[in-house]
Amino acid sequence: MSVEKGKICDLELFFLMTAFVQGSLLLIDFTVSLTEHQTWMVILAGLAVSLPFVLSYAALSKRFPGMNVVQINDIVYGRFLGKIISLYYILFYLMTLSFNTLDVSELYLTFLMPDAPFVFFMAVFAAAVAYAVSKGIEVLARISHLFVIVGAVVPISTFILLIDQMDFSDFLPLFELPAIKLFQGIHIMAAIPFGETVTFLMILGSLNKNRHTVRSALAGLLTGAICLLIVAVRNTAVLGRTQSVWTSPSFQSTRLIDIGNVLTRMDFLVGIAQTVLIFIKCCVFFYALVTAVSQLLGLKTYLPVILPLAGILVILAATVFQSPVDHAEITQSTGIIYSVPLMFVIPPLTLLVAKIRGLPQRKRGGGK
Amino acid sequence: MVKTGVKLIAKLVLCLVLLLILTGCSGGTEVNDLEIVILMGVEKDEATGDIQVTAQIVKKVALSQPSGDGGGESGKAYWNVSGTGKTVFDAVRMITHKTGNRLFVSHNQAVFFGKELAEEGLQEYLDFFLRAHEMRPTAMILITEVPIQDVMNAKPETENFPGINLTKLMKTYGFTSYYYKMNMKNFSSCLMCDSMSPVAPLISISTENGSRDINISGMAVFRKDKMVGSLSFEETRGLLWVLGEVKSGVIVIPSPEKKGLVSFEIIEAKSKVKPEIGNGKITFHIKIKVDVSLSEQMTDEILATEQKFKKMQNDIADAIRKEIMTTYEKSKKLNADIFGFGELLHKKQNGKWKIIKNNWEEIYQDLELDIDVEALIRKTDLLKKPVAAIERGNKK
Amino acid sequence: MFRYISRVIRYLSLKNKNENNGAVTVENNNEPICADLKRNLQMIKEVMRDSSDVTIHEFNFGHDRRFRGALVFFSSMADRQEIHENILQPMMFGSLMLKEDVDMDFTQVETIKRNLISVTDCQNISLVSEIMENLLLGATILLVHGSKEALAIKSEKRKTRNIEEPGTEAVVRGPREGFNEDVNANISLIRRKIKDPDLCVEKFVIGEKSQTDVYIVYLKRVANPKLIEEIRRRLNRIRVDAILDSGYIEQFIEDAPLSIFPTISNSEKPDKVVAKILEGRAAILVDGTPFALAVPMLFIESFQIGEDYYSRPFLASIMRIIRFLSYLISFLGPAIYVALTVFHQELIPTSLLISIAGGRQRVPFPAILEAFLMLFTFDILREAGVRLPKAVGQTIGIVGALVLGQASVEAGLISPFMVIVVSATAIASFAVPAQTDSSTILRYLFLMLAGIAGGFGIIIGLLVLLVHLASLRSFGTPYLWPIVPLNFYGLRDVFIRMPIWTLSRRPSAVIWSDEGSYSQGSGLMPAPPGKNEGNSERKERD
Repeated sequence: MSVEKGKICDLELFFLMTAFVQGSLLLIDFTVSLTEHQTWMVILAGLAVSLPFVLSYAALSKRFPGMNVVQINDIVYGRFLGKIISLYYILFYLMTLSFNTLDVSELYLTFLMPDAPFVFFMAVFAAAVAYAVSKGIEVLARISHLFVIVGAVVPISTFILLIDQMDFSDFLPLFELPAIKLFQGIHIMAAIPFGETVTFLMILGSLNKNRHTVRSALAGLLTGAICLLIVAVRNTAVLGRTQSVWTSPSFQSTRLIDIGNVLTRMDFLVGIAQTVLIFIKCCVFFYALVTAVSQLLGLKTYLPVILPLAGILVILAATVFQSPVDHAEITQSTGIIYSVPLMFVIPPLTLLVAKIRGLPQRKRGGGK
Repeated sequence: MVKTGVKLIAKLVLCLVLLLILTGCSGGTEVNDLEIVILMGVEKDEATGDIQVTAQIVKKVALSQPSGDGGGESGKAYWNVSGTGKTVFDAVRMITHKTGNRLFVSHNQAVFFGKELAEEGLQEYLDFFLRAHEMRPTAMILITEVPIQDVMNAKPETENFPGINLTKLMKTYGFTSYYYKMNMKNFSSCLMCDSMSPVAPLISISTENGSRDINISGMAVFRKDKMVGSLSFEETRGLLWVLGEVKSGVIVIPSPEKKGLVSFEIIEAKSKVKPEIGNGKITFHIKIKVDVSLSEQMTDEILATEQKFKKMQNDIADAIRKEIMTTYEKSKKLNADIFGFGELLHKKQNGKWKIIKNNWEEIYQDLELDIDVEALIRKTDLLKKPVAAIERGNKK
Repeated sequence: MFRYISRVIRYLSLKNKNENNGAVTVENNNEPICADLKRNLQMIKEVMRDSSDVTIHEFNFGHDRRFRGALVFFSSMADRQEIHENILQPMMFGSLMLKEDVDMDFTQVETIKRNLISVTDCQNISLVSEIMENLLLGATILLVHGSKEALAIKSEKRKTRNIEEPGTEAVVRGPREGFNEDVNANISLIRRKIKDPDLCVEKFVIGEKSQTDVYIVYLKRVANPKLIEEIRRRLNRIRVDAILDSGYIEQFIEDAPLSIFPTISNSEKPDKVVAKILEGRAAILVDGTPFALAVPMLFIESFQIGEDYYSRPFLASIMRIIRFLSYLISFLGPAIYVALTVFHQELIPTSLLISIAGGRQRVPFPAILEAFLMLFTFDILREAGVRLPKAVGQTIGIVGALVLGQASVEAGLISPFMVIVVSATAIASFAVPAQTDSSTILRYLFLMLAGIAGGFGIIIGLLVLLVHLASLRSFGTPYLWPIVPLNFYGLRDVFIRMPIWTLSRRPSAVIWSDEGSYSQGSGLMPAPPGKNEGNSERKERD
């Protein structure tokens, strides 16, 4: 028995996926210092690299309809090994979630409200996320299209407002950076906005019919990537050389908007979009976390674990890094490594093992 | 199940409320506790070598009086305060000793740098203005030839604040295109390039008719971050033609029959620069397309004929070509790549740029400029012919 | 889904409990009426001892006046003229005319009903408790000596208002009639608009003491049977003394009793209620109040008014958007102002900031307190203005505007910008009357959030609000439909109102099935004669 009874449809999956990828808008700012004006191609390359893996997630959930990854692990790897792998997933959810929560508070501390207490933001944010998750996946999926609208309208509108300040020659020369930096950038891109969709393994089981799973997942991934691309192109064309020195190129480029002395400081739009999109991203992560934990513990509903996990999340996010520099360093290098097996090894492996053992057939006979 | 849900929500709400109460107000400031800064200036104190920062602050008390209407008999609606310190930030914080309130620099319109400071190099002074989260990257950079207190005290007649007036001045550079605005972001963008030299407007004070007005006297030219010289008005426009930043302006040429002068208003100007590396010579093909309108003629010639139009169009093109060449000569003398030719090579021909990058300064001295100007007179405004007794019928 | 199931479980358990309680409290008086008139009257007198308006009139009748009868009624409720003309006269004088040979046995009430009384609504009753019930409904009871049955003759007289234009929901174009307190008149107003045998009117009697008539009105085959079943179930579990207004019903049957958002709509305009019925909703009419309820309610209904559909679509669409914006302003206005002036001054254009700073220079309070004071004053003014007679209410408005607005600014208590913001907010909140209660509460909540955490607080507040709204349901229908969950067809009538000939389907969230999903044919766009004439056939309905 799954802990979630709610059902979502293909369209909702598409929107949720898009919003999730858009939630990584801030991540572009991380890679920019590495990849400078080649960010846009790094995004495309990252997308290309991660596509087969995302397909494998979709294929996996299609093979085990109505099941989440914890259940799948139990079936494919057996009780003991399955539990260990599920624990790995849970750890991944928890860590990524705390990184994202940290991102929000750093965003506010750096740009919008520098005098506010640090934990305050995270705690309020975590409480809001916990509230949303307690309402179930149905509500989350249903409101996701509103987030997609925000995540599309803000980049597009700022792009239009900045068009007269753009200098597209800033993309030249096309290939300048050393391959190692590009590779690093592609790795981050493949892992963070796209590879993180491995979280959806907890959600795909809630699809009411899984005929178009692959199609909606891919469409979501692409739409999200287009938004990231718009932002990357905007930043590079507007900021040129300087984009690699700013803490957040997105904020800086929108700060340049000045229409008739009235439409100025449009960076608040980016702030809103960022908060809202990280919110939905964190909701997905937190949902995956609570369902995975309660599934592992064999609970009937995930409501009791929400509050303790939210508490753990805040404490973790508050203590995990000492400074934003620390945060950026770790996210760029070591932080990515530990999640690689989870995104790029385990799901395809699971699929392979399931195929060899011919598992879904046997399970179908047993009833779910 | 339901109970858990309700309880959970109750707990969450309780958590939120507690958080909000316990953390208290998280760092807001009432508007009346802010000192709104609209202009800042950085100078070096000659005696001690410390940095002196001057800020122009809005006087809110003067504004809150309903009848005072800003200025009036009380005089100025602003207050110039300065502080000294070892770094820019240090000096800015010292200003609060005098104001008693926090300086609020989000609305800072422009930053002045003293000429002496600019000649020493601006890089180390810029950092604060880019890093502080309240600062706008759109704030203008201005170089003053006169002491900063003097510029800041020059009250414009139509505005309450010199700061607002200056922004207006900078934004409307396009009326003549004889100077150019330079903001923080573009300036630092130039500094981050290998070769490009930034320019920034030079400000002085004109003391004609007893009043002291802010006056733009030209453009300061930098090599890297050090000021090395200045451009005159025409030279500035020569630069702007190449950069494609000429918005409007007046071109004056002698009339075809050399009887008097004709002025044209620039309607639209576009430029395209293409580098070409030949054998040992680097050529830049500069193509400029400019649309003008005949705005004034100080002669009684009838100009509206095809030949004369052609002639005048050629003259305009020559004038523009001359402007550009003068500017290039000047920049050669200052050894500052203000056109960004080097950056263009970098973008378009990255492979070759890597080879010549290190001796770009020498190469810059003998570039070949192939300037192709295409001028087009679009209209003659309200008059077709001059207001003069025109011979009818029998010509000559 | 999950919540829904659990709620159903809760309802079931509550229902059982209530039924048990009910069985204990209901007093049993199931004695039959006996043949002895004296005893019967004695018994009635006993029960109605303290009611001075009970009238008992004993009389003899029949051609030889050998039968004895009595009329019992409440003089306050019964129509005396009707009793005299249609009951007493035929019985006392009409029966005198009977010929002796036609010997009728008037100890059978059935015979009296058939031969003497000229009233249509007569009922045979045989229990004492029934006598009481009917008496209280305004009926006249005819008791005859020697009969074990009595007659309950309908003779109630009600004083009601005429059909007037309602005080709320005024329109410029559209029907002006409104419901009144007489539920039968209200149903007749609905029947007059829907002349269809499918229109069902189901009666419930709710209230131990008030015995109020409650009607569910819906269109069979259009309204979802599950919805009707659910309403019946929820109405049946109500156990109260009295229903004085439809608001009582609303609070007993709503889905989210703890939410600040109403999940049941109300209206006192028949055209509006009829429109809702035609869309597949069910109306609940309660005797004694002009306000009819309609379920399920969608959030967007608060922004749709009848006039949107009676006037042409262009201005109607603009007004829709203005209404949505007004709603946002009505709860976000002061919050945004406080967030901007206290936390994000950089977002205000320079010259505006300078004038705001100048205006606030003499104000001693922090902006949030200033806003609270102003909002509080506004709410006092509104409350005072509503309760007072109209003429005095206007005075209050003038005093409030002049004294509190002008003087407090001049005294330096409030900044002029705050006055602008709060009055704009106040005006905006009147543009969406259906959501006034939610916007008033939200206004204070968001102001608090903005005062504590600025823009971050507002965004988090909005997110939580969105999640809350998205999780609400009204009788199984998602509250935010068609925005959440997304329904493209439904969006035709949300932010803009598409031309009426494009709105051929009923809201799918209310309908739930294909049956009855079309309310008009397709291709009805008006065109000059000759052009696409063949296209305008009405699509087969149902």
